[in-house]
Amino acid sequence: METSTSTNMIWVLLQRFGFLLVFAAFFGLFAVWNPVFLQGGNLLNVIEGSAVLMIIALGMTLIVATGGIDLSVGIALDFGAAFAVVALKSYGMDWFGAACAGLIGGSIVGLFNAILVIGLRVSPFLATLSTFFIGSSVQRIFTNGGGPISHRRMPEEFRNLALGDIYGVPTEAVIATVLVVLYFLVLERSIWGRRIHAMGMQRSAAIVAGIRVNRILILCFIVASMTCAAGGLIAAANIRMFTPLSGFSYLLDAIAAVFVGAALHPRGRPNVLGTVAGVLFLGMVANGLNLMGLNFNTKDALQGIILVSALALAVAQQRARNPLVS
Amino acid sequence: MSYQRAFSLQGVTKEFPGVRALDKASLDVEVGEVHGLVGENGAGKSTVVKVLAGVYQPDAGLVTIGGETLSPITPDTVHAAGVRFVHQELHLVPHFTVAESVFLGQERSGRLGLNTKAMREETEAFLHDMLGVDMPSSRLIRDLTTAERKLVQIARALIDEAAKVVVFDEPTAPLASDEIETVMSAIRRLTEQDIAILYVSHYLSEITDICDRVTVFRQGKTVGVFDTITDQSGRDLVYAMVGRDIADMFPVKGDRVAGPGLEVVGLSDGRAFANISLHVEKGEILGIAGLIGSGREELIDTIYGLRKAQTGTFQLEGEPLAIKSAAQAVDAGIVLVPRDRRHDGLVLPMTMAENVTLATLDQNTSLGLENRRVARERTEAQITALDIRPPDPDVVTRLLSGGNQQKVVLARWMVTSARVFIFDDPTVGVDVGAKSEIYQLIDDLSAGGACVIVSSSDPVELQGICDRIVIMMRGDIIGELQTEDLSVDELVSAITGARDIKNLTDAD
Repeated sequence: METSTSTNMIWVLLQRFGFLLVFAAFFGLFAVWNPVFLQGGNLLNVIEGSAVLMIIALGMTLIVATGGIDLSVGIALDFGAAFAVVALKSYGMDWFGAACAGLIGGSIVGLFNAILVIGLRVSPFLATLSTFFIGSSVQRIFTNGGGPISHRRMPEEFRNLALGDIYGVPTEAVIATVLVVLYFLVLERSIWGRRIHAMGMQRSAAIVAGIRVNRILILCFIVASMTCAAGGLIAAANIRMFTPLSGFSYLLDAIAAVFVGAALHPRGRPNVLGTVAGVLFLGMVANGLNLMGLNFNTKDALQGIILVSALALAVAQQRARNPLVS
Repeated sequence: MSYQRAFSLQGVTKEFPGVRALDKASLDVEVGEVHGLVGENGAGKSTVVKVLAGVYQPDAGLVTIGGETLSPITPDTVHAAGVRFVHQELHLVPHFTVAESVFLGQERSGRLGLNTKAMREETEAFLHDMLGVDMPSSRLIRDLTTAERKLVQIARALIDEAAKVVVFDEPTAPLASDEIETVMSAIRRLTEQDIAILYVSHYLSEITDICDRVTVFRQGKTVGVFDTITDQSGRDLVYAMVGRDIADMFPVKGDRVAGPGLEVVGLSDGRAFANISLHVEKGEILGIAGLIGSGREELIDTIYGLRKAQTGTFQLEGEPLAIKSAAQAVDAGIVLVPRDRRHDGLVLPMTMAENVTLATLDQNTSLGLENRRVARERTEAQITALDIRPPDPDVVTRLLSGGNQQKVVLARWMVTSARVFIFDDPTVGVDVGAKSEIYQLIDDLSAGGACVIVSSSDPVELQGICDRIVIMMRGDIIGELQTEDLSVDELVSAITGARDIKNLTDAD
């Protein structure tokens, strides 16, 4: 158009590269405000600190891709931590046995969700909400009111899940990265991923196409909860104890990361790379706001505002790419 | 009667990346007439409707409503000018009552909040007086038949009595043939109220039946305006639409292989139908006819494993077979082209290639990872074989026209080694040209030795492509007709129960 002005240009730029620009803008802002932000140690901190959230968000991505949502990711994390700590402390298992026990403990949560959703035909939202209530209560009963189970003499190998490093890279970051790659291959490149996305977008069409949606859904719930349990292992190793109900704090961040990721996708699908971007964005903003030394109480509000503006731009970006999708 | 122009579009052009959907199109509709708008898929009919709705902004041209040139054209200004839409999709909330649905977004409120009593009464009065039906306004949408939902949708568009122009977009597409008349007579009543009606439809028989004038679109251009419409106008309209004469919609039958195919014995679902037995040979096309509520749709769903069967056994080529889920049916080589392709046939947000290969993912894989190159090649082969347009494997299926969407569903099953093809209302919402192509494809399948079942609400279609037709009524098969020497009228009278089938067969 002839009337194009510089504001117009900026708008076009924002539409095209919106989220990336916001990411870069905040990165720059944080760096200028407090040079510590840019130091290698701090950036590594952001990544390391995001590892558990990344793992939980992967599990969430899987369930959201099936067309549902999982409000019990925190419970799966708690169960993973609890089973592992009890296996180490009361049964004297080695680190590997304890890790397996933790994953199995987490899978109970997924299995329970699957029974509710497929067997009883409860919607995923309500089913996993029930699991969340029941799972929270189970933890309180088991710990006589919610006290932590600590294990000071945790084997070194188990502690290394959180505190060790592999060729200088923190183990938890390595675990998270491996899971990201696996999830990416399965969800975005494999035939199972195609089936999962198909049933998530249009379940009835997937059924008519001969896809065994119930079987896939059961597997997804179990895999997602085991993934969250893996996050629980790291959390337990980090603080050498199981703290009941600690998984809850990841729930909302994980949902936010997954939906940021979906908004970044050109066709609005939940996807692994988008989730990674969402988690890192949330991690960066939290860390940056911390370093700005802001009042703790205003942090959440700022985080929310930043999130909404980034999402609005991502949606504008989608529209610019697909003018036919209104 | 002095003609008064209700609305007009002049020289409207609308381009999308790579497509000129409208190319200086024009359309004039006068007060008190029913104006038909016809054209093949992709001719620009739905784009015109969306321009008129304010959803798309035209790149050039004028939209005039009631003598006023509209600018800007937004959904609000259009609504304020008195334009109302009755869309093809029903867009109703299943858990709302009839009255709630009619007044959704335009609720009547009294001194004490919502005036539900007034809304219920007004709804019932409107349905009775204007549309000629009696329907309790407290019924839930989910309990209504498709035709009743359509009437609710019409009532919703017109209840405020401010409508000057009403656009009907494929109003009869989801309806069975006996339900169409209900909607048509409702539309006829509306013209008595000085309302201009734009009637967009694929069904030329309806167009010639109800319209006073017709505008024909082809490739985004206005190619003809017919000022007088008679029962004989159909052929001229088709000629204008496709730019050539379609001598014969239906393929000519060639030689067939024979042999035992699918046999269903004593199938019941415990609700919609009971003790149904039927068989279809290899190389045969079996038709299933029946009105809405005859159990025809439920029977198809049960054969395909989408509904639970209470009793009944299946045999395919002499081998017993268990079908408890759609996945089992597909594994056995039985495939369905569903009646609601937008909902059950396609994952609309996915691309054409993703949809075409959805049922055969196992074959495009190396180590569980999808081989996208193979998927693309297979899709491209199908695009050529079925002439799918646009010929782009990466196009999102939501953007395809009805006929091309149906071809994508068909393409998915063509790449499998299916032995039984079930078509459920295969040409609903499909234009004349694509319809004829789909009939040819169905015939090719059967000539290749597949068993084909066509369940349809269109008697012309059944008579045209089937070898044999079973007729369902109230959950029962009441008879069977050979299509040779069967006239469409005879078929219709058999389906509606106007004539006993015994008399029909005896008369031969």
